[in-house]
Amino acid sequence: MPPPITSVNIAHLHLLLNHIPTVGAVVALGLLLVAYIRRDEPLKLVGLEVLFMIALLTLPAYMSGAAAFQDLRNQPGISEDAMRIHQDAALAGFTVVEFAGFIAWVALWQSRRRSGRPARGLVAASTLLLAVSLVIMSRAATLGGDIRHPEIRAAAGGAAEPAGDPERFVATQISHFMVDSPWGWPASETIHFLGLSLSFGVLLAVNLRILGVMEQVPFADLHRLLPWGMLGFGANLITGMLFFVGQPKQYIGSTPFYWKVVFLMIAGANFLYLTVFRQAWSGDRNSHWHANGFDKAMAILSMFAWLVVLYGGRMLPFIGHAF
Amino acid sequence: MGFLVWLESLPFSVWVHESPSVWAQPTVLTLHTMGMGVLVGACWVLDLRLLGVSRNIPLSAFRWVFRAVAISLFVNVVTGLLLFAGRATTWGVALPFFIKIALVIASAATVLPLRTYVLQSEPGQLEVNSRARLLAIASIIAWSSAITAGRLLAYLVEGA
Repeated sequence: MPPPITSVNIAHLHLLLNHIPTVGAVVALGLLLVAYIRRDEPLKLVGLEVLFMIALLTLPAYMSGAAAFQDLRNQPGISEDAMRIHQDAALAGFTVVEFAGFIAWVALWQSRRRSGRPARGLVAASTLLLAVSLVIMSRAATLGGDIRHPEIRAAAGGAAEPAGDPERFVATQISHFMVDSPWGWPASETIHFLGLSLSFGVLLAVNLRILGVMEQVPFADLHRLLPWGMLGFGANLITGMLFFVGQPKQYIGSTPFYWKVVFLMIAGANFLYLTVFRQAWSGDRNSHWHANGFDKAMAILSMFAWLVVLYGGRMLPFIGHAF
Repeated sequence: MGFLVWLESLPFSVWVHESPSVWAQPTVLTLHTMGMGVLVGACWVLDLRLLGVSRNIPLSAFRWVFRAVAISLFVNVVTGLLLFAGRATTWGVALPFFIKIALVIASAATVLPLRTYVLQSEPGQLEVNSRARLLAIASIIAWSSAITAGRLLAYLVEGA
């Protein structure tokens, strides 16, 4: 089975996805600023939800860029150095926007428990981090434009960057650490498996409640567990990115990896739904909430999507070419 | 060693290890990983509750944990035996493998007294005694060690 996205059009995919972190961040930041000016608490929540989705979609944006890099690096007229400079800026922007998305999620989780009022500090922190990431992403976008648009460089009157030692790039240093260190890769794999177990357990408990197990327990008490699931996910995002930046060629063009990322997006959006959906929170604490058909479908989708994410990862050495 | 050679030469063992089919080694290993996630995850959720997270949930609500543990443990014993049979001569003589199995048994052993404790809890009981809390800490440490040992087999055992 050939990968649905092949190296022929991966550069195009990056041209499509690379607008999400910049344009998307402008939209999210705009929503948050308008919400601040209008003192509109519900609009802040919308801004945080958009921010969370942007943080999620920045993952494939970064990864498609790494794929395009492998595809283009040996083409004449394209500076490998320019691509590496762009990649480092994108990695910095990615890191900051993931932190912003994480804090936004905590604010959303907390505001659901406080019936709609997000903590001021958390909203301010995620807005600020989003603004910082937008600055870094804009710089990354400009540097990215330099790769294929010589007219921009000429108009700016800048001299071409001197070709330098690839070792000065963070992505290269991470790659060396992951490949050369005797414990970097095994330790990350171990954390990745611990993280997946923690996330699985929390999601199992929350989704079983939605599906009708533990019906005497208010949903709020299971919702309390979600940050532990997020902790597992965060550990896996960090270790997963260490694998990807460490050995990008193992993952680029791999069919199971493609589906892993696609279902990670579905699972992430679903996780946001489980965090903020309202139905379970109406009524008083002592009335038993029964999920409707849609929410039960979301619970099943959650477990299915995370199983596919695991399946894609576990299959990497077999269907793909990772070790 | 004779037994290990015999086990590894069974047609089924050869199929698990040698077959290029996605249903052989890859699927067995994936099911083993999924079973691990459910098994350890369900135990950890109970451990977290015993240590004070979501302390409003009565202990009796956690009966489902033991069903999840039973199902996933069954899946992992079956898939684990298949994986062992496929490379019996490798695993059967590898010290790290026996350390992993010992850690899994130690981890599973923490589930039994916790099961008795939860099943015998009063309806609506919220308090947790210190023995159960200690068991919860032991469970978290034991399962973490078991996963670590299992994951490191790929790096510590020659030919794994």
